[in-house]
Amino acid sequence: MSYEPKVVAFLCNWCSYAGADLAGVGRLQYPPNVRVVRVPCSGRINPLFIFSALRNGADGILTSGCHPGDCHYVSGNYVARRKFALLKSMLNYMGVEEDRVNFTWVSAAEGGRFADVVSKVSERVKEIGPPKGVFKKAD
Amino acid sequence: MIIKKSEIAGLLDQLAKEYRVYAPVDENGNIAFKAIKEGAEAKLGENSKKPPKEILFPQSEELFNYSVNQEGLRMDSKVDDTKSVAIGLRPCDAKSIMLLDNVFSNDQYQDVYYLARRDNTVIVSLGCNRPSGTCFCTSVNSGPFDTDGSDVLLTDIGEAYLVEAITEQGKELVGKLNLPEADAEAKALAEKAKASATVASEVDLAGLKEKLDGMFTHEYWDKLHEKCIGCAACTYLCPTCHCFDIEDDAKDCEGCRVRNWDACMFPLFTLHGSGHNPRTSGKERFRQRVMHKFNYFVDRYNATACVGCGRCIKNCPVNMDIRQVLAEIKAQDTGSEVG
Amino acid sequence: MQNLSKVIQDTAKKLLEEKKVDLVVGFAQGSLPLRSTPYFARTVDQAANLIWDEYCENNLTNYLRKREEKVAVVAKGCDTRSIVALMKENQIDREKLYIIGVPCQGMIDRKKASKLVGGEILEAEINGEEITLKGNGFEQKAPKAELYYDTCIRCAYGNPVIYDELVGEEVAAKELSFAEVEEFEAKSAEERASFLAQEMEKCIRCYACRNACPTCYCPECFVDTSSPQWISKRAYSAKDNLIFQGVRVFHQLGRCADCGACERACPMGIKLSLLTRKGVKDVKETFGYEAGLNPDDKPVLNDFTPDDPQPFLMKE
Repeated sequence: MSYEPKVVAFLCNWCSYAGADLAGVGRLQYPPNVRVVRVPCSGRINPLFIFSALRNGADGILTSGCHPGDCHYVSGNYVARRKFALLKSMLNYMGVEEDRVNFTWVSAAEGGRFADVVSKVSERVKEIGPPKGVFKKAD
Repeated sequence: MIIKKSEIAGLLDQLAKEYRVYAPVDENGNIAFKAIKEGAEAKLGENSKKPPKEILFPQSEELFNYSVNQEGLRMDSKVDDTKSVAIGLRPCDAKSIMLLDNVFSNDQYQDVYYLARRDNTVIVSLGCNRPSGTCFCTSVNSGPFDTDGSDVLLTDIGEAYLVEAITEQGKELVGKLNLPEADAEAKALAEKAKASATVASEVDLAGLKEKLDGMFTHEYWDKLHEKCIGCAACTYLCPTCHCFDIEDDAKDCEGCRVRNWDACMFPLFTLHGSGHNPRTSGKERFRQRVMHKFNYFVDRYNATACVGCGRCIKNCPVNMDIRQVLAEIKAQDTGSEVG
Repeated sequence: MQNLSKVIQDTAKKLLEEKKVDLVVGFAQGSLPLRSTPYFARTVDQAANLIWDEYCENNLTNYLRKREEKVAVVAKGCDTRSIVALMKENQIDREKLYIIGVPCQGMIDRKKASKLVGGEILEAEINGEEITLKGNGFEQKAPKAELYYDTCIRCAYGNPVIYDELVGEEVAAKELSFAEVEEFEAKSAEERASFLAQEMEKCIRCYACRNACPTCYCPECFVDTSSPQWISKRAYSAKDNLIFQGVRVFHQLGRCADCGACERACPMGIKLSLLTRKGVKDVKETFGYEAGLNPDDKPVLNDFTPDDPQPFLMKE
């Protein structure tokens, strides 16, 4: 059987989750590898969620919120953005590959882009294969 | 009998065919007692950072695992009764096992997991020719060549170890090794080593227990704990600390019950489900540690729960020194509370 | 250093006598060679036990949170940075704190010293810039600067950032260096992962690192919660231990004074500064922010600008 990665997607309620909905309503096809966790805002995403997903066997992570400036809570994603910059760097430092943990912004109007993003993430995670290093599965 | 140091690795290899052999090994820069694959790994003579209690009572231990499916419940107990030899324990650490026995095997409770290991492990200890500056074993009913808790005692005599079988189990083990008899010179060297091993620091335990009897509410505790940061370095590295917590690691219908070391220095240790914590602050927690070792344990098992290994002194991040604490307790005025 | 001890004692005595403070947190003679110990002086007599030497390694700011009484503290550069970080979080009331600042060259690493002599040190003596280490059958001299903790060698903030009184001469400015982090970054992902896994295997979950840190003070730590149980309570999993450390470091971003107290407290010798200093470096390089230098700025993760860099976004 070919390797089908599991990608955990943390999507903000107001933009990216709605973007995913729009992709669905528009009947846009994208790979079924993502498991969506809906969060109120990208500012709600605790780095621990991402560590925890990797710990519990996620092959990849997608985190998406409203575009900066469009946050439903005015500044949630601005604050999140600082965290994400540091988190991504720390994860890479720990040996987690560049393409395994992904961050982006998708608005409620970007159904097509959401499908596109999911395809890209799934494809890239498939390419790098199951987690290596510390978060390697089954030990 | 004697064992040449150059032959130790070979002997351990021979033992490893029949037994699981625990020896001090260098594990990423720390000495620890681990089951070895080859005799050459063993670093006899080095004392471990983590006490050898983990051989019998691992820091994390799966007690049993279970699963539920349509056919019903399956449960596998994980009692480990592999024949084992633990070599290179210091006499203080060997003595600590005698103390742990009280807790895990008494007239009210028999711990099957501990006892399966305990009954199947032969303890070969190595006397201390040069006790460290933080050792105070002689003050707590032990000593650098104490045989209490050891099945076999080795004494370093330079190029070789003098071997003394202490118990029947020890004699049986030594019997299998076909060791040459020790000559008079080796025996003399061993006597010399034993005589010259001096334990520099002392703690006076006389009357301490009785003193502590009346000190539960003493103001001494109010300030003593102040510098303690409440970590578990002292308890986890203590050969006699034995508190544990049990948790279920379960997912869906599969899981396992795990026993982990726990420490009285953590607030969580006594936290009730209601949110109430009977040991509110570091004061009560630190008092508990001292009282448990030097008072409650004496009440219950007529022994002090300390073997003087000095690990808590060496590894405390804020230099809390149990020798000083005990000396200060002795010096406290307990006034009318005495008796 | 003898005279510094004297000055600190006199200052403490005066403060206690004049009832300006109820307590002086400082250091006293430790019970081991190369060791001083945190000390709480409440009376003039007790103040005579205060000392200052190259073994005052603990970050005393750890004892200052939410104090009711008026307190004076003997603080090195890094300690004062932690004080500043905690002032912003309303954990320390500056009005009730008297800071006796002591410029610091660095503190001596006992492990380095033992490694150097290859045996147990029973006695140590400092003469100027030289330290003499004595033990069973050896006596060795070494320049003390070689025995400083790595974190101290790379520290650029030996001088207290804020103080009410400065004791001793200010030390010469040094350049901040992240050499060890840069070296580690240069390794391959596999090498980094395997090194960290090996370090994390040492962890015994005694939480000395967490408890030694002045800015780690959550009433309930995420590692202790059982619902949700973020990581297993078992000690042997490198994965869980790395999550513990990773998230601990993350909680410190923009607050960590880079004092190295966590690494010094670790009884198992885990190279924690490799992670903590990576955080400090990233914060500095990405946002130009250094924690605990300015009492009036906003901590980096409490703040934002509309044009913050976003190098972390996936390439589309």
